[in-house]
Amino acid sequence: MLETAAGDFTWDSAASIAAAVAAGRVGATHIIEATLARIRERDPLLNSFTAVTERRALARARALDEARARGERLPPLAGVPFAVKNLFDVAGLPTLAGSKINRDLPPAARDAALIERLEAAGAILVGALNMGEYAYDFTGENIHDGPSRNPHDLDRMSGGSSGGSGSAVGGGLVPLALGSDTNGSIRVPSSLCGIFGLKPTYGRLTRARTFPFVTSLDHLGPFARTTRDLALAYDAMQGFDPDDPVCADRVAQPTVPHLDKGPDGLRVAVAAGYFKGKTAEAVAAVDSVASALGANRDIDIPQAERARSAAFIITASEGASLHLNRLRTRARDYDPAVRDRLIAGAITQASLVIKAQKFRRWYREQVLKLFEKVDAILAPATPCTAPLIGQQTFKLEDVELPVRANLGLYTQPISFIGLPVVAVPVPLAPLPIAVQIIAAPWREDVGLRIAHALEAQGVVAAPRPAL
Amino acid sequence: MKRKAGRKARSARAKRPRPVRTAAKTTPETSIDAFVAASAQALGLTLDPAWHDSIAFNLRLILRHAALVDEFALPDDAEPAPVFHA
Repeated sequence: MLETAAGDFTWDSAASIAAAVAAGRVGATHIIEATLARIRERDPLLNSFTAVTERRALARARALDEARARGERLPPLAGVPFAVKNLFDVAGLPTLAGSKINRDLPPAARDAALIERLEAAGAILVGALNMGEYAYDFTGENIHDGPSRNPHDLDRMSGGSSGGSGSAVGGGLVPLALGSDTNGSIRVPSSLCGIFGLKPTYGRLTRARTFPFVTSLDHLGPFARTTRDLALAYDAMQGFDPDDPVCADRVAQPTVPHLDKGPDGLRVAVAAGYFKGKTAEAVAAVDSVASALGANRDIDIPQAERARSAAFIITASEGASLHLNRLRTRARDYDPAVRDRLIAGAITQASLVIKAQKFRRWYREQVLKLFEKVDAILAPATPCTAPLIGQQTFKLEDVELPVRANLGLYTQPISFIGLPVVAVPVPLAPLPIAVQIIAAPWREDVGLRIAHALEAQGVVAAPRPAL
Repeated sequence: MKRKAGRKARSARAKRPRPVRTAAKTTPETSIDAFVAASAQALGLTLDPAWHDSIAFNLRLILRHAALVDEFALPDDAEPAPVFHA
């Protein structure tokens, strides 16, 4: 149901907006005008957008309203505003990927494939979102565009690297956004901003016409404030695409029809050892989710710490390889924190990287065996709630660790082998934190089904900020 | 005479290898520093001296992670996963 007759759609779900537009209770043009006004009003606080595609959005909205007036049946996401991390190509805009350097690129000639798929489902792109430079980031800070801010405390990090996506959805600017996740860049902002995020199986969603970071680890996926919205967007984006060499040639497996099945019959365990929370909030979040699911079994993900290290090395090296020529010619135009990590990656010996790749295959085989015994595994998404913007370190069990490299402590060992994960926000006070629901490859439906059940119980929810 | 002796002495110093002095000062820290400089040069990367400490810090971090992976025994026939499939 739409929130008010006057049209404050700030906290409405994508599903409710689409239903209202399809039924003619509100026009898509009205939704988009209200969204644009909200972005103008609130984004100066959140700093989540780097471009607003106003003219294009209004044109699409009018076209939808005209189609409805002609009696045409509208698609499932009709009139739903969405925005994308600015590493997605948007026709007419340079694809920034959070950088200064890419501002010199010619405007993209065509939208990213996932934008095309969401728009084919009726959603309407309203802009591009702030992000950590070249996605090598967990903080949401950006030296060129300023930090995207946490909607629950504007002095705190949104998380990264899809910081603008977390901030825009968590702050009520849009009900749906897209981001990328190489080592945790969907799950970390979901956790810090208190929203739902889906990192699908590696190879499930096409990455065509997006700016890469670490191709053997790069995933794309949606952010939303409800599980149903995640599922609707995910279903609309599935399908093979020959334009992405690693996009799997698999039949689309819709998840929306399975959402209401509940968790009965699913075997859920809690990740032990390395994943045991080291802060009160991480422990409380996992405990509350596990308790609601009756998950009283622990399971050990073997060599998870080593897996995280291997992901770290591959990221540094593969990321550096992508940037080598730019590092030669434009090193001074990078964020120094990103540049120095990339240069260190560039000079890392190949023998170490290949060892990490060998370990990766071994680890994948061990972890896949676990899914013979369980259907889903729970783990914290981040070690803590949102740190302050500019904070360099945090303490975990009295050990001082750099924030930038360690917010993804619990996400890296999972994306390392491409497992699908739904990040579900536990609305702790004063700040939310998320739990990862980790499933076997291609079983996004399992994670979404569990997330939906937890949401129905009120255990997980996107808390509305007092902006 | 003095000048000549001085020249001779300088010349002798220039020709004399200094391995002992260098070896005595070589530590993991200095070898990382030297590695950063040499590797960057080999790759055609021009480094501002002000960046050096941060790059070396990041390289040490990578090497600490690499050590954790490297110490894990894998069989000789372990296959890498350069093209990764989930």
